[in-house]
Amino acid sequence: MLTDLISSLPPWGLVEAQMFNGLQQGMLLALISAGLTIIYGTLGVLNLTHGALYTLGAYAGYVAYQATGSFLTAIAAGALCTLLVGLVLERGIIRYYYNRPDEDQIIVTFGLGIIIVEAIRSYFGGMSRNMPAPDWGQGASQLGFLQYPFPLYKIETIAISAIVLLIFYLVLYRTRLGLVVRAGIEDSGMVSLLGVNVFRAFFVVFAIGAMAAGLAGVINAPITAPTPDGGEKFLVYSFVVVVLGGVGSFPGAVVGGLLAGQIMTLTSLFYPSLSEVMLYVAMALILIFRPRGLFGQAGRT
Amino acid sequence: MTDNDKKWIETPISRRGLLKTGSMAMGGIIATSMFPGRVLAADGSPLGNYPVGVAKDSCFIGLGCETTGPYSAQGADNLKGFQMAFEHLNNGNELMRAISPDSKKGILGKRIEYGNVDTASKPNQAIQGMTRFIKQDKAILTAGSVSSAVAIACEKLGQREKVIYLTSISGSNATTGEDCQRYGFRSCVFGATASKALKPVLEKQLGKDKKVAYLVPDYTYGHTVFNSMKEFTGQIGWSVATEQVAPLGSSDYSSYLLNAAASGADVFVNICFGADAVNSIKQAKQFGILDKMTMVIPYYTPFLAQEVGAEIMQDIYCVTDFAWQQQDQNELAKSFVEQFEKKYGYKPEWGAEASYLQIAMYAEACERAGTFRPEEVIKAYEAEKELETMLGKVHMQASNHQLVHDVPIIRGKKPGDMADSEDYFDVVGLTPGADVMRTEEEAGCKLGSYT
Amino acid sequence: MTATAEQTSTRSTSSKKHGWGHLAVEAAVLAGLLAAPFVLPLISMSMDVMTRSLIWGLFGLGFAILFGFTGLLSLGQAAFYGAGGFLASYLLTNGIIEQTLLALLIGTLAACVLGLAIGLLVERSKGIYFAMITLAFGEMFYHLDYSTLSGYTGGENGLAGVPVPLIGSYTIETSLGMYYFVAVLFFLGYLLARRVVASPVGRMMMAVRDNEERAKATGNATHLYKLVAIVLSAAYGGLAGGLLGIFQNYMPPEAFAFESSAQLLIQTVIGGAGVLLGPLVGASVWLYLHDLLQFNLGLGQSWKLILGVIFVLLITFLPSGLLGEARRLIHWLRARGPADEADDNEAASTVVADAGSWPVDEPTPEYGPVILEARGVSKHFGGLAANSNIDFSVREFELRAVIGPNGAGKSTFFKMMAGVMPPSEGTVHFDGNNITGKGVTRVCQMGMSTSFQINELFDRLTVRENLMIPCLAKARGRFRLDMIRRAERVPELDARIAETLELVNLSHRADTPVSHLAYGEKRRLEIGLALATRPKLLLLDEPLAGMSPEERQNTVRLIKSLRAGRTVIVVEHDMDAVFELADNISVLVEGKILVEGPPDEIRSHPKVQEAYLGGVDA
Repeated sequence: MLTDLISSLPPWGLVEAQMFNGLQQGMLLALISAGLTIIYGTLGVLNLTHGALYTLGAYAGYVAYQATGSFLTAIAAGALCTLLVGLVLERGIIRYYYNRPDEDQIIVTFGLGIIIVEAIRSYFGGMSRNMPAPDWGQGASQLGFLQYPFPLYKIETIAISAIVLLIFYLVLYRTRLGLVVRAGIEDSGMVSLLGVNVFRAFFVVFAIGAMAAGLAGVINAPITAPTPDGGEKFLVYSFVVVVLGGVGSFPGAVVGGLLAGQIMTLTSLFYPSLSEVMLYVAMALILIFRPRGLFGQAGRT
Repeated sequence: MTDNDKKWIETPISRRGLLKTGSMAMGGIIATSMFPGRVLAADGSPLGNYPVGVAKDSCFIGLGCETTGPYSAQGADNLKGFQMAFEHLNNGNELMRAISPDSKKGILGKRIEYGNVDTASKPNQAIQGMTRFIKQDKAILTAGSVSSAVAIACEKLGQREKVIYLTSISGSNATTGEDCQRYGFRSCVFGATASKALKPVLEKQLGKDKKVAYLVPDYTYGHTVFNSMKEFTGQIGWSVATEQVAPLGSSDYSSYLLNAAASGADVFVNICFGADAVNSIKQAKQFGILDKMTMVIPYYTPFLAQEVGAEIMQDIYCVTDFAWQQQDQNELAKSFVEQFEKKYGYKPEWGAEASYLQIAMYAEACERAGTFRPEEVIKAYEAEKELETMLGKVHMQASNHQLVHDVPIIRGKKPGDMADSEDYFDVVGLTPGADVMRTEEEAGCKLGSYT
Repeated sequence: MTATAEQTSTRSTSSKKHGWGHLAVEAAVLAGLLAAPFVLPLISMSMDVMTRSLIWGLFGLGFAILFGFTGLLSLGQAAFYGAGGFLASYLLTNGIIEQTLLALLIGTLAACVLGLAIGLLVERSKGIYFAMITLAFGEMFYHLDYSTLSGYTGGENGLAGVPVPLIGSYTIETSLGMYYFVAVLFFLGYLLARRVVASPVGRMMMAVRDNEERAKATGNATHLYKLVAIVLSAAYGGLAGGLLGIFQNYMPPEAFAFESSAQLLIQTVIGGAGVLLGPLVGASVWLYLHDLLQFNLGLGQSWKLILGVIFVLLITFLPSGLLGEARRLIHWLRARGPADEADDNEAASTVVADAGSWPVDEPTPEYGPVILEARGVSKHFGGLAANSNIDFSVREFELRAVIGPNGAGKSTFFKMMAGVMPPSEGTVHFDGNNITGKGVTRVCQMGMSTSFQINELFDRLTVRENLMIPCLAKARGRFRLDMIRRAERVPELDARIAETLELVNLSHRADTPVSHLAYGEKRRLEIGLALATRPKLLLLDEPLAGMSPEERQNTVRLIKSLRAGRTVIVVEHDMDAVFELADNISVLVEGKILVEGPPDEIRSHPKVQEAYLGGVDA
């Protein structure tokens, strides 16, 4: 009976390929979720524009790529564009919502998300845009140990996402700004009482968080063609990951993202139709047994 | 007091079975507002929005073309097809007159006005909008769809309200199969006909006894198309090497593609539609599947080639309802493509063609029936008259309200062979309509009542 | 956003003075519903939109109870909407049940069962976690509908052919008839919702929203009230879903989708979450805007962009929603005037002038048997032992103070006595019962009540309404499902509240919102909340915290007056107060009891001096 069970499992080559795939998707989710968690953790704002910012980054990257033909410029453009939009949003609207209840923030950021998405659709139309992988990302490779060739570009996104997350980490944990942000996540009132201009830090936080989403969008564009509605799904996933990992926790977002990636891809090996639902099931289970998520602080809601 | 007001102040509750013909004595209009659509109609008597919807010098057509949502590009294309059809009817046009010879201005002399609801490909949004068109604007006709769920919901609404509904794009077998309606009509190809149409072309181009890997999106449409493909390619000895079911809206197809690659298949059949098709095909290229297997797309999503690019699209076989390249074989197709391109700046996709054609055929049926009254118009359709159109000769199959026409099979061109930036395909086959139409038994359609 | 103190206070006072006030509102709503089909078409709102708005409004009644009144933001209401809707539609479409009302009832009950099941799983969650876990459940059900059960639900095609309503032997076939059918059900739902909100259960829900911990500490099993809120919201959702299917003759798959939950939230926020009719108004506005932007203004593709802009503007400038803002405006217009200023002056003066009103310097009563006992109680946090092996006992009618330097473990000890935190080792006994680990609620019901160092009040309510919470707990036990009667009609409630107000000298401030109270008054209310349950044992955690010297004096007098007939344990820092108040003092140092004894002994005890001052050099 055990041998029956084992033989009904998919071949190892597939499993390892899927784990790799899960790593790639997980890194992407970790990046998006890290941005979301620091925004929610520090500002207490539930930012539902995050999906739209992902899309914005993808389209900005696309436009830059069309103009210059350089993929690196596209990445920079995607990041810069969402950074600026993040700044504008925070200064223009979000900061008036800091003291308003959660549901107001949900709704206004949701509305802003719609505005951004529909503006993109008005300008670009509903067709998806074609963003090819860069020249250094063409083809597939077995990396010397994989049984099946894995698209080279996907491997590269793992690396790129890791580098961005590392930069994030360094900023958060090794700079003064990062210190203020992390203190602000713990207790923003206290930080402000200590004489630190917490609000200046806030808007940088929002902008950086937005930038994370935009970067994810442009990095993922060659894999999932950018469409105006494409970011919606990542928005919901990133919220699930943030909550699963513990709200406000950067390590939680990273671990949660990687975990989510593996859950979805490994489930699709066995029960493909359940692969997305399984993420919700996992989150629900974690919340039932550990209501504050994996790394979340107790008492924080 | 207008007719509308009369409707508001009627008694709200009626005894079950109160379908008294005696109510007709009160006169047509008042009877309509008391028991909308429930009167057992004799000729000329009110039915649905007839005659109140055409009492003035215009008639209203309600459209459901998505302008937002995942199929907004296709919806926009459909809308343009409709708009051009209305313009051609209202102002007269030789293309329109070729399909509907008796049309002069408008339909039966009534100028066409229309409204469009952004369904966002959601059945409930569609129902909301169409209900408004029917009840408030007294639409005499409703039309437009990209998703079969929308099409089926709308045709059922049409059946209930006694207002004819015409699909644009609908790929499910059920639309003119188990969910068929007396008040619904479809012109385009769908799962079963596409599979039947593919069979001879695939046999000729690729041969018999091939092993096939299938990528099936996990919803009813996906599964029915898979079953049709399996059945009809089975007849040329093609077997299922693997069936990969992917959730609708997946962005990552890696595991399914890997399984397909590992299955040793010769042919990869991709049943996904819309953005799913775009992503799965691009990723298939990345995984090298397109280098090892021939891809077949049984149901072509409009703009797919533009979205994936010619490099990837080459050598992929697709079934479509209409390819603009058919203008080389058909004068009406040429006229349609040229006029559309002149008006909108790009060559029409098949959704626009289906939308235009559906309106043209409706105008023709009305002119032939001599009235807007739905029962007569439906019977005019069911007379199975052969029409000359941009798809060639076509006729409506009375038993299931499906238009029968030749089905083009297209294959992606090598990028170097493209004549212009929109020339993605060669037409490699044209399967005769008679070979693809379904019998009554196959369709399993039981049309409802006329009234 | 949610009901403010002004709103609720007006409601309670007006209910006393004008029982007719309630009926007037309900009559007005009924009249509005009846007249709408004749009036609203004038602004080109169609009957279709009206009926749809009513369905969303019905769905929203439950959501307003859950979210506006209990403070639980659920993003998964679609699960109930879809479940009730599809079940009712399925039964009707397949002819299993022919009577519409019966099918609707079954759908609603099924939604209730679902609500109960989900509620049991989520009741411990709060805030964003609650929102996300309900979202997860909603999505799981959507998947079930779309994929697993698609044979029954029609998958992406939905369920068409739902027959027209059949009631008895009458069918409803016209738009107007359907409108009235839905309107009647909505009105009945509305009446029920109003009852619930005015009932003790409703009071508890609002207490949960404002300060769940305090509601628990005053003797209410809050998780059960939350469950009631969830089940009620599920019931309304299930009924609304069934009506949707019947209204459209079609049950759409989107009923289960997240967007239904989102649309409900958006509509509720636009209309006003703290108002029962908020969702109805919000739905009308939302649907009306949809129609207007798409059809009447010819905006083409950018209609949704404009809609997004409009609703960002709406939410930015009308934070309490349309009805919420309207209510605030009405209150503001009514409440403006010199009266408030006088209140404020009065507040300042009463703090000082109270001095003479309480009996002071009563003789120490005779003690009864031991009423609270801790045996070998310890508390460890990881490697840190906050309390080690404490034996502690207090006799009835004693006034015991617990003092100790910072970090001694006083708060931990206090929490264990109060039942807020269970000990790692040892047992706690109250009045002869072992209360170890029983939790604050049960302990309060047994007769031990706590007042906290930091004010834990129900901020959005008035003083009277605050006191209602513990009084209701005393009158009804930790949980009672009395949703239909008015809270004010609970027997002896008024009398109890009045008594407590007298005891803490807040009778003249009974109808003032908590946010308008001076700090000293808030502290008195804080103690009042503990007193209201007539506890045998009163635990006071630093009652003098943050007070000015006059306030301290008054509070000391208050505590002295309170000890009559009950036992009091006070944890305090203020030595003067402690020495004046206490019969006996226990000194806690480094997690252990150092000494215990009467004030004179403790005052001059060398070990105590050493502990506080680190040694006294002679």
